Amino acid sequence: MKNKPVILCLEDEPEVRDAILRDLAPFKPVARLEAADHVEDAKEVLAASAAAGEPIGLILCDHLMPGISGVEFLVGLQQDPAYAQTRKVLITGQAGLEDTVRAVNEARLHHYIAKPWTAEELQATVRDQLTEFVLATQDDPTPFIGVLDGPRILEHIAATGRDK
Amino acid sequence: MNAAKQNKWLTVKSVGGILAIIFFFIPFFFPAEGLSVAGNRMLSIFLMAVALWITEAIPLHATAALIIMLNILLISNRALFSLPDDFSAPPFASFFATLASPILMLFLGGFFLADGAAKFKLDRNLAKTLLKPFGSKPANIILGMMLIVAVFSMFMSNTAATAAFMAVVLPVIAKLPEGDRGRAALALCIPVAANVGGMGTPVGTPPNAIALGALNAQGINISFVHWMAMVFPFMLIVLLAAWQFLVRVFPPSVKEIKIEINSTYDRSPQAILFYFTAGLTLLLWFTEPLHGISSAIVGFVPVVVMLSTRLISEKEFHSMQWSVLWLVAGGIALGSGVGATGLDEWLIGLVPWDNVPVAAVAGMLALTALAFSTIISNSATANLVVPIAMSLSVSLGDEMSRVAAAMFVAIGASLAMMLPISTPPNAIAYSSGQVKTKQMALSGALVGTVGLLVFILVAPRVWDLFGLMP
Repeated sequence: MKNKPVILCLEDEPEVRDAILRDLAPFKPVARLEAADHVEDAKEVLAASAAAGEPIGLILCDHLMPGISGVEFLVGLQQDPAYAQTRKVLITGQAGLEDTVRAVNEARLHHYIAKPWTAEELQATVRDQLTEFVLATQDDPTPFIGVLDGPRILEHIAATGRDK
Repeated sequence: MNAAKQNKWLTVKSVGGILAIIFFFIPFFFPAEGLSVAGNRMLSIFLMAVALWITEAIPLHATAALIIMLNILLISNRALFSLPDDFSAPPFASFFATLASPILMLFLGGFFLADGAAKFKLDRNLAKTLLKPFGSKPANIILGMMLIVAVFSMFMSNTAATAAFMAVVLPVIAKLPEGDRGRAALALCIPVAANVGGMGTPVGTPPNAIALGALNAQGINISFVHWMAMVFPFMLIVLLAAWQFLVRVFPPSVKEIKIEINSTYDRSPQAILFYFTAGLTLLLWFTEPLHGISSAIVGFVPVVVMLSTRLISEKEFHSMQWSVLWLVAGGIALGSGVGATGLDEWLIGLVPWDNVPVAAVAGMLALTALAFSTIISNSATANLVVPIAMSLSVSLGDEMSRVAAAMFVAIGASLAMMLPISTPPNAIAYSSGQVKTKQMALSGALVGTVGLLVFILVAPRVWDLFGLMP
């Protein structure tokens, strides 16, 4: 598959980041996994993906990190139309009410996963969010049937599918 | 990083775009001998279309629009560069008119019925009702599914039919043991039936419309039932052969399969109005010989009724499959340009056809269509091959009718289903992860072979016997 959507995992602790990436392995056939350990690093990933023509499908973001916080990063991203369709998920144990409210209202947060998470929970969330992204952006979502939410994609094709 | 970036420039699409431009200019610099000025210009357009439709350098429907524009600018009565006086240039409006040709209105009617059926879940409900008599034995269930999918894809797009019914069989497949060969039978039976079923009616799939549009442009009108009478029985034979193949080669290990479709008939006034409109349209299509109202005019009935009663909302109207109609129109424009400029006769003249038996020509046409559309779009294949096939049949005299020639190409295109990229239904089944490419290639090869044999060797005799060949 060309120009796979990117799943960006922004998490400063190496062990936690590795655990998340391990849980996301089932999505590798249809998405490119990218990791970043702080916001500047994440911005470099965004720039490289933009240059390669790969859309950012989903950002899984920790909140408390050295330097700029996760919520701050997502709020900044919300103002860039290039990421209007990107699904934003906060995965954190330390975001207070105020930060969480800000993430929902100003960053249009799509989902909140509380640490510690389970693999099933994380995978279900990513499957759901990435399906949403694919149906909103891809001309032909067929290649995603097997890995993402198959029934939902089939329903979409049944309503819009055309012969070539 | 740099190497990867550079490689991106060398894609099939970029090469296709460059080739299209080069192809386009070849006849201007090296005009073909024995071909008129207009013929050479048309050759430019045709070569460009070949490059663009094969590589999809630009979207298929964009190529269609480009063909219409170039026909107008190069060979119409408003051509930018003057044409010789002895060439009677077609009016430019005739090329624009391909976008609203009667066959497209028939097709549009089909879109409205299909969209309505999906909206009111008529497809799912009918499937639930029709599947009951097939019991629970795996082989019978698979036969039932195949017949139902084939019938649906005669009226809706093969792609939509496949998606709707893959959603039904995937949960059943998930219950089969890991490694059960029956998984492949269940996952393959849907796209195979959809691809094959599309042949059954004029509105089943775009290549049929392209064949009928080309015939229509030459004053030959084939009614809805006439097409069905010619194709449906043989389509059924191919379908049954595919069924036998699937259940014998990939037999499910279980004794019983349960298909669950959760759906109840919509009895709202709107749904009932839709059922009535659909029933009336089908009735009129099936009885054309009795009342003589052309199927294209009948096809406009659901359009008018469903728009005025808002069964199809403005938003739904905007998201209709317009690109498919433009693609077909581009094919009709290409065909009429090829015919008007004499390019067809010149192309046919390149090969001495006199010594070739008719059945061999027919087989070659269908096989060419099949080979092309295994890799590229079925509609693009039909767009490119139908004009040549029809003029070839004319040069053979009475031995092969233009109807048969156009039909063989449309059917050949629909019979191509060996690879995941062959058709969108194949891509859907493959993406589900339940079918291996090898299994798909095997079943595709069988359907292609049986289909070619049945349509080339058997069908023409039966058509003659029953006086079906116009």
